[in-house]
Amino acid sequence: MSMRSITLGHYLPGESVLHRLDPRVKLVTLFTLIVALFMIKSFTGFFLYGLFIFAIFISSGLPWRYFLRGLRPVLYIIIFTLVLHFIFTKGGQVYWRWGVLTIEEAGLVMGSFMTLRLALLVITTLMITLTTSPISFADGIEYWLRPLRRFGVPGHEIAMMMTIALRFIPTLMEESDKIRKAQMARGADFETGNIFRRARNLVPLLVPLFVSAFRRADELAVAMEARCYRGGEGRTKMRELHTGAVDYIGVLTVGALLAGIIVSGV
Amino acid sequence: MLIEARHLSYTYMPGTPFQIQALKDINLTVHKGEFVGVIGETGSGKTTLIQHFNGLLKPTEGELLVNGENVWTEGTGLRQLRSRIALLFQFPEHQLFEETVFKDIAFGPRNMGLEGSEVEKRVRYSMELMGLKYSLYKDRSPFSLSGGEKRRTAMAGIMAMDPEVIILDEPAAGMDPLGRRKFMEKICMLHRDEKITVILVTHNMEEVSRLADRLFVLSQGKMVLEGKPSLVFNSPDTIREAGLDIPSLTYLLTRMRESGKEIRTDIFTVEEAGEEILRFCGEANR
Repeated sequence: MSMRSITLGHYLPGESVLHRLDPRVKLVTLFTLIVALFMIKSFTGFFLYGLFIFAIFISSGLPWRYFLRGLRPVLYIIIFTLVLHFIFTKGGQVYWRWGVLTIEEAGLVMGSFMTLRLALLVITTLMITLTTSPISFADGIEYWLRPLRRFGVPGHEIAMMMTIALRFIPTLMEESDKIRKAQMARGADFETGNIFRRARNLVPLLVPLFVSAFRRADELAVAMEARCYRGGEGRTKMRELHTGAVDYIGVLTVGALLAGIIVSGV
Repeated sequence: MLIEARHLSYTYMPGTPFQIQALKDINLTVHKGEFVGVIGETGSGKTTLIQHFNGLLKPTEGELLVNGENVWTEGTGLRQLRSRIALLFQFPEHQLFEETVFKDIAFGPRNMGLEGSEVEKRVRYSMELMGLKYSLYKDRSPFSLSGGEKRRTAMAGIMAMDPEVIILDEPAAGMDPLGRRKFMEKICMLHRDEKITVILVTHNMEEVSRLADRLFVLSQGKMVLEGKPSLVFNSPDTIREAGLDIPSLTYLLTRMRESGKEIRTDIFTVEEAGEEILRFCGEANR
């Protein structure tokens, strides 16, 4: 049951304002925040945005150590962006030269600018995903897909597929861990050898995993049918979504932030 | 082969909000040739514990020794260890993956570096051992077998590695009564004739009280009782606190004893209990 790998971006239940926000509202605010982030033109803007995000983070009560660990996978992308800009964006004063490689003023500015934007983008998104259960996320998405039904977009089915996929990630993780251990107990080796050998050594893991995934899918389909599931038509919800004062305040705050950024031009 | 756990503790996902301590300060010894049972309610840490015995999990604290050597010191051949201490997981039929029964059973021996006729010899031997006729089953797809046959194939895959110790996690879960009995008889036979050390994890108190020399009782990650079945089931309160129950025979005999009858309570087979009750009745009539 080693689930170390799935803890990244895993929902953490809580009682904060951010947790209690309606998922539909959360999707809208997330969208607004991302737009705002791309409207920012100066470091001052990033500073103010960062301050805002930091305040929300404090109020959410998320453990910072866990949060930082969730950021680790994107760290490489961020560093990569930074290095790329340092080397390839030219202009202004030359700070450092080594053969054909130079680091120039524009590179430093552009690099830090892009890195900050990317980092804040990931932080914002992670903060929302860590405080929203996958199921309510899917509910929110279903709601916003509803107007598209007129154009033949099966909103409910998409949301249901998302929910099921998310629901089965930990199950399949556990299953693969179990099969991996069972094969290791038979002397299988998943850790050494070159890449081709390792790929071939995965067969004893992948075959049983696929077999069980299909079996589970089949069982789930039968179980859903046994409970008369027939798509979204006329289906009611156990947890109905309600918007309250907190949600309006949330939308207004984020809206004000966006407006402020556009008007002041920071 | 001697397995020893010293102050063994294990924590899942340490350092995250999801951390759970599954085992707390476990001390135990399993001697060569023994048949031991590990019992405890669901979530008591049984499966976590047995995964330490063949080095699938590394203790967070404490150590696990095999023949006096720490399994996790540098240079210990973990793969070699796993071929000598075999582990059969719950629902082992889920691990089958090859095109034919033969190839699947040969997976273990091949991983041990064996080839050709030696592999064939071992596959043939372990198939016959598990009651799968070699000529009849060797070329069939493991996915076309019945549930019971699949499980025996998985067990044969373990036995083909010729282990000294076998660890079984609920080996008969979900089997029908007759299949279950036959399967357990096979295990007993291996223990008796091949002198294989058996570590059995189970929820079936009747079975384990009859088969095991010694029992380890786990509750919430701690060892709460340890000893001979007659000793362990002599503390019904502790057993019930651990979410388990005493075998019905023990219950019956204990109740008779409590009502003042001179009768033995350390009996775990129906036959022996029958004789004991007949003997008692005979004496009472005289």
